[in-house]
Amino acid sequence: MRHTLIALVEDRPGALNRVLGLLRGRGLGLHSIAVGDSETPGVKRATVLVDTESVEQTIKQLNRLIEVLEVTDVTNAEYVVRETALVKIHAPEPRRDEIKTVADVFGARIVGSSPQTVVVEMTDTPDRLGEMIARVMAIGACETMRSGSLAMALGGPTPRVNAVSEDATRVWWSQADGIS
Amino acid sequence: MTDERTGAQVMCEALMREDVEVMFGIPGGAIMPFYHAMWEYRDRLRHVLCRHEQGAGHAAEGYARSTGKPGVCVATSGPGATNLVTPIANAWMDSTPLVAITGQVSSAVLGKDAFQETDITGITLPITKHNYRVSRAEDLPSVFREAFHIARTGRPGPVLIDVTKDAQQARLVPDWNVTLNVPGFSAPVGLDPRAIREAARILAGASKPLILAGQGVIISDAVAELRTLAERTGIPVVTTLHGIGAFPEDHPLSIGMPGMHGWVHVNRAIQDCDVLLCIGARFDDRVTGKASTFAPRASVIHIDIDPSEIGKNVKVAVAIIGDARAALRALIELIPPRDAAIWLRNIRETQATHQHRQPYLRRPDTTELMPHDVYAALNAALNKRGGYRVITDVGQHQMWAAQLIEWRRPRTHITSGGAGTMGFAVPAAMGAAIAHPDETIWAIVGDGGFQMTNQELATIGQEGIKNVKVAIVNNGYLGMVRQWQQLFEGRRYSGTPLTGPSFAGLAEAYGLRGFTVDRIEDAEEAIRAAWDHDGSVVLDFRVEREANVFPLVPPGLSIGEMITREAPA
Repeated sequence: MRHTLIALVEDRPGALNRVLGLLRGRGLGLHSIAVGDSETPGVKRATVLVDTESVEQTIKQLNRLIEVLEVTDVTNAEYVVRETALVKIHAPEPRRDEIKTVADVFGARIVGSSPQTVVVEMTDTPDRLGEMIARVMAIGACETMRSGSLAMALGGPTPRVNAVSEDATRVWWSQADGIS
Repeated sequence: MTDERTGAQVMCEALMREDVEVMFGIPGGAIMPFYHAMWEYRDRLRHVLCRHEQGAGHAAEGYARSTGKPGVCVATSGPGATNLVTPIANAWMDSTPLVAITGQVSSAVLGKDAFQETDITGITLPITKHNYRVSRAEDLPSVFREAFHIARTGRPGPVLIDVTKDAQQARLVPDWNVTLNVPGFSAPVGLDPRAIREAARILAGASKPLILAGQGVIISDAVAELRTLAERTGIPVVTTLHGIGAFPEDHPLSIGMPGMHGWVHVNRAIQDCDVLLCIGARFDDRVTGKASTFAPRASVIHIDIDPSEIGKNVKVAVAIIGDARAALRALIELIPPRDAAIWLRNIRETQATHQHRQPYLRRPDTTELMPHDVYAALNAALNKRGGYRVITDVGQHQMWAAQLIEWRRPRTHITSGGAGTMGFAVPAAMGAAIAHPDETIWAIVGDGGFQMTNQELATIGQEGIKNVKVAIVNNGYLGMVRQWQQLFEGRRYSGTPLTGPSFAGLAEAYGLRGFTVDRIEDAEEAIRAAWDHDGSVVLDFRVEREANVFPLVPPGLSIGEMITREAPA
């Protein structure tokens, strides 16, 4: 079953690699992953859509990774999901009006064009993006670029100010002696 | 010495601050600055030059498993590092605290396919608790601190530190006042009192309770607590392969090992029990057989420090996440004294009808030296003399050792379990021998596994290690595979017959003593002579070639379905 997970991950080299490697190594299907800065410096927030038979196991396995700070499954919670798509449509001048009409219907915007192409941008649910793309594909050959789903639960705790660990203040090795 | 150090000196001092006394390794280009610095600290930081990095890694594991402290191995970049992959994977599967230090090519050429460059942090990603690539010498103090903390805290495991050559060479004034900041790594603190109460309630109401004790009991030093709990409640105790030694097998409540080569009465008890208290074991498929049919009548109480083990293979009624020792102490407080005498008597009756221990091996139609004879002699010597540890390899000899020796103390039985790494025993025995120079360290190994890493006999010779005694159970086959071919594949012995040199002669060539034993009446004397010899010894026991390990649960079946003896020919 497909689950929508939200993960807080330390921004360190290889951290994302570990998350992806774990999903691959455990034989889980990754549908999409979208990562960006969180409100906390040094911490990324990712939305991961993954196919797993045991989401509880998957979350525990992810939590074993040192850089993973927190994983939440929002699949059965109240949450919003949005995705952005850029669609480049190869269409000659006479068909541009058609594209404009479709874009208006879907609340999409034309964000660029060249003599041969038009680029449309749309942010909505993944399903609505799919509908829009199907429509413009009927107009001309398309190249699509999708961001992957971004999910956010409606409720939840107040964000933490920073990610300092409980023992961060512990001084290390200060008692070590005999080493000159 | 001024306050200024090289990165390599900082690495040495960091190891000393972590109480490291010995490391096992092989130098090479990218790790040379570390070796250069090591020379200055050689009176406090011993380096053991191994003959292959796999040997170095297993030696560090043997050191770690016999002491409980992290073992340290060292290799250069490229092939040196990749040769460590097998021991790192082995340590990962068996929860062994291991810190692997590898050299890496200089930052300036990193990513350019430089000579002996390999992305070892990428390669070891799925088999380490964590790994680091350090290219700034300033990071070395905190990285080493974190690495050791992670390796030994919670569920132990391997951590790799890959240090570029320029970071080893850089000069710096190290700042040792490092704060440990690993917010994503939190060992469970405190136990859930509701879970403890619920577990105590279920245990108190059980009529056929059973304890399944794993390595977690040994790692968390909970052997005394386990004994107290068992004696207070009269609950029989099963010990997994890695749990061997967590509960003395000469104790009236000990019933033995479960699983694929466990005893009939143990597997039946698991299938019959109504409450199964699992402590620090992870329900490996070699224990459970077909997991969906495992312990079908039991409410399972699972104590484990790793939350991801809960409910992974077996459905759990109560999960107690935390340190086994703390959990057992809390349980002991709450559980009223009881007994399970009738239940235990039932188990013992099953045991009596299934010819426990020896007869499985004795084929009536041969007078050849049987594996059984070797183990009988070893068992007698070990339990008479004490002061031993036994390292086993992987295969038939490993299962016979688990079955036929009466184990009594923790950390005296060390083996490669989860990964099943042939070649583990000889180097791991070397590591344990260095950690415990006053004890006699037996490596029990097959002729297949012995030939995978026997080059470490040269290391044993060079280091003057006198307390390694290798017992090769030599049947001229990769015996466990041959046994499966015999039982399940119509005796097609494809790729399993195996020759070798004279192993006694090989030992002598390495400067050790070697003896060949092929008669029943010589086994005991050979073991005595090896034990008393003031130096390391190889005993080559030429045993009957087609002896099998019984009982046996065929792969994929329930542990209730066991083959207990040879089918009539």
